[in-house]
Amino acid sequence: MRRTARMLTGTALAVAAAGLATAPAYGGETGRLEVFPSTVVPGAGVTVNTAACGAAAAAAGDASAVGAGTFPLAPSAHENDAIGQFRVPPSAQPGTYEIVAQCAGGKQVTGDLMVTLTSTREQVQPRGLVKTGVGGALGTDPVQTAAGVAALAVAAAGGTWLLHRRARGDGI
Amino acid sequence: MRPVSNIAIASVTVVALCSGAFLLHSGAETNAPPQPSAAQAAAPGAGDRRPAAPALPHSPPERIRIPSIRVDAPLMGLSLTPQGSLDVPPAEQKNLAGWYEAGTTPGERGTAIVAGHVDNSEGPAVFYDLGSLKKGSVIEVARRDGGTAVFTVDSVEVYDARDFPDDKVYGAAQRAELRVITCGGGYSKATGYQGNVVVFAHLTGSRAA
Repeated sequence: MRRTARMLTGTALAVAAAGLATAPAYGGETGRLEVFPSTVVPGAGVTVNTAACGAAAAAAGDASAVGAGTFPLAPSAHENDAIGQFRVPPSAQPGTYEIVAQCAGGKQVTGDLMVTLTSTREQVQPRGLVKTGVGGALGTDPVQTAAGVAALAVAAAGGTWLLHRRARGDGI
Repeated sequence: MRPVSNIAIASVTVVALCSGAFLLHSGAETNAPPQPSAAQAAAPGAGDRRPAAPALPHSPPERIRIPSIRVDAPLMGLSLTPQGSLDVPPAEQKNLAGWYEAGTTPGERGTAIVAGHVDNSEGPAVFYDLGSLKKGSVIEVARRDGGTAVFTVDSVEVYDARDFPDDKVYGAAQRAELRVITCGGGYSKATGYQGNVVVFAHLTGSRAA
């Protein structure tokens, strides 16, 4: 008897779970509060939006869980979409916080915000050397070298001319 | 016809000889970029003690200014190379630096990274004099939000490629920090510059728009 009851309970739970699992496919776009970015460092700005409020697209936001107080959600550029912003206080502690928005019509939606001390964007950090030079500031200056060679050629020509004159007995 | 006098030819020859020698000698001189002295390296407890200013909100940078070495250059966004190293701005543009776009913006809490060329095939480039910065030198970054983040240099180091401290240079920080990187260290024709000059700085102030 107890066994049957347990099986029935299990079945009920499975049905409920299946219902929950399929729910987003139908109402996922309208039933929750989207939080972007969903992972932030203290002091960062966060934008939330939801389509749950319908045509009115206005709601009262509450981020007091993370210490950011209340904020308004107003209609956005997208139809039926309410959008709002708040800033996570620099003193916020790491953790996951529930952000709530209550539509003008009374419906309530929630979304999760995770606060970490290290920005996730930094987790892909560069490594190794930066290739920022080719040695062009070093070594010889080609223009100056060419000018020097030309000047030496003139000197050689002058010297040769003088030697020729002397050989011919032109007097030196 | 009166021939050109020997004295004239001799004078021209001597002048040409001297100037030729001078040109060849000075043209062959090496103009290596300045490298940081050991005194500018980080020493325990001896860094810049100016208190860190509160971090600024996220805002991409637009220009970097380092008054003491007359740097004033625009900043472009940089990504990573397939090998995982930071990419660099196009070498042809002498007065252009870049910042690691996927990372922290300068002034924000964390480690912001700026890189630029020490030279290109034509000669010195934007960060040629970076190695001559000293502890306490000021670096300013103008941001898209109209404000300016002001950093103070903590140390100037030069690291060899074989022993590059990735975490120290690129790793996360609990305050708003900045790294400014260019090529440096030894140079060989075969491998180019063998290291990087890295300037470590932290946010010590800001100016609003």
